[in-house]
Amino acid sequence: MNAHDFSFEPAAKIVGRMQVLAGIGAATLVAGLFFAPQRVWLNFLLVSYYLVGLAVAGMAWMAIQYVSGAHWSTALRRVPEAMAGILPLGAVGIFCVLIFQPSLYPWTGGLHVEGDAPGFKLMWLSLPFFRIRAVVYLLGWLGFAWAMLNISHRQDSDGDLSHTRKNTRLAALFLVFFGVTFWLASFDWIMSLEPEWYSTIFGFYNFAGAFLSGLAALTLLLVWLQGHSALKNVIREQHLHDVGKLLFAFSTFWAYLWFSQYMLIWYANLPEETIYYVRRLHGFWQPLFVLNLVLNWGVPFFALLPRMNKQRVGVLVRVSIVLLAGRWLDLYLMIMPPFSGGKPQIGIWEIGLVAGLVGVFGLGLLVALRRAPLVPVGDPYLAESLHYHA
Amino acid sequence: MSKRLLVGVFESEDDTLAAIRASRQRGFKIVDVYAPYAVHGVEEAMGLAPSRLPWVVFALGLLGAGLKVWFEFWTTAVDWPVNVGGKPFNSLPAFVPVTFEVMVLFAAVGAVLSFFFVCRLYPAKRAVLPVAGVTDDRFAVVLEQTDSTFEPEEVQEMFEKLHAVHVEEQITGEVA
Repeated sequence: MNAHDFSFEPAAKIVGRMQVLAGIGAATLVAGLFFAPQRVWLNFLLVSYYLVGLAVAGMAWMAIQYVSGAHWSTALRRVPEAMAGILPLGAVGIFCVLIFQPSLYPWTGGLHVEGDAPGFKLMWLSLPFFRIRAVVYLLGWLGFAWAMLNISHRQDSDGDLSHTRKNTRLAALFLVFFGVTFWLASFDWIMSLEPEWYSTIFGFYNFAGAFLSGLAALTLLLVWLQGHSALKNVIREQHLHDVGKLLFAFSTFWAYLWFSQYMLIWYANLPEETIYYVRRLHGFWQPLFVLNLVLNWGVPFFALLPRMNKQRVGVLVRVSIVLLAGRWLDLYLMIMPPFSGGKPQIGIWEIGLVAGLVGVFGLGLLVALRRAPLVPVGDPYLAESLHYHA
Repeated sequence: MSKRLLVGVFESEDDTLAAIRASRQRGFKIVDVYAPYAVHGVEEAMGLAPSRLPWVVFALGLLGAGLKVWFEFWTTAVDWPVNVGGKPFNSLPAFVPVTFEVMVLFAAVGAVLSFFFVCRLYPAKRAVLPVAGVTDDRFAVVLEQTDSTFEPEEVQEMFEKLHAVHVEEQITGEVA
């Protein structure tokens, strides 16, 4: 296999479209800072966190494939690698919020604490420590991404198995580091928006959502690359079938964690915990609350239940789009209810920033995909992946 | 009714797949294919229709879930209402975990039992094997000699061209 056969040159049309979307996002952000600062900052936090989630999902995918010794997916690896390559963009967004608008977090204006560990909570939710933690999480993930991508790209030229071994070790370390830090990051960046409320499973629930959205994005990218790049003859029906199985499984995993959190709080019925759901189950929030379950679990579950549907490109694409919309709604329901005065507001600011999210993600990916051949041409396990039978 | 069968025995899965394709191409009726392990692509090569087992499993899962919700509703809200933490007697969220478990139980056990039933497998059933080697290192393609146009010599030649190690005729009322 020749590296030159797999270089990637995106059509000017798609680049232009993504630039327009990113421009809309930037314009919305700038205008919003003047007209509706709090709402726009919250939405900016949402899309930055969304972007970080997609990037770390790419990392997690790659790490899981290495650690489990999966070779069926080797030929597809450059796509999750490209997703991991957009991590800096998401990290910049998160840092912007923490540097310029930490007052989004109510605890920065003094914390009203109850319970048996107020000292610890006060220490944990202090601005300097909060910022230091964010630096540790994000630089940690970026460091792993940089190292693993470099090693993978180096393998293209010499085809040495030692690179795979090195990345397998790094992947195992990453998964341990990531398991702890992503859990804490979701506490810090999202859960502490309502500092009096807490849920231990929140981090796992967030991981499930991030990984599910990552799988959906991966599916869309694979289908698109199959039609628009040299991956045309590389991605087989069996590869997509397996990605479809993962979509189905992780959608159900998300629902499992969603329900675990909901049921325990419903069962215990403690006021400081139920307030979270009281806010989200009343008035106009209720239809969105139900819609969240429908988009993230109901539709994917029943659409992907028959075996045939997991192989149909049309079904996979539609389900992935539903899941990506569902991820946005899931985050919207996590972030907005305490701030938007009793009823959901979805308007120009939300739509503009979502357009920006799509544009920035798209542009970042198009750049990241050009960095290396679309197929890891030097990977010793490539042949196995190319002749994969389900 | 007894059938006249022709059994081709092969040493590799590639030869077996080739023999299946060649037999189908010439319109022979394949009774069954035997292999010591699951071979990828056999179903496609034999042109088997998709399994109907998923539908059975789906129906059993629904049945399990339905029965369970009905039973829990009946015990906690109808027959012996118990006040748990001030919750309504009919508390659906509390039913979900067990409903899920019973659904999985019905679907999974039902899948295995349905499979046994369809394959007519039961304890102490005697194995019906065309040649004993298929449990070890041999693959077998079993064709039925449907009518007089079936020329065993011709088929034997076809199998031998595809590296069959052994071809034999069998007459049986058992294998089906």
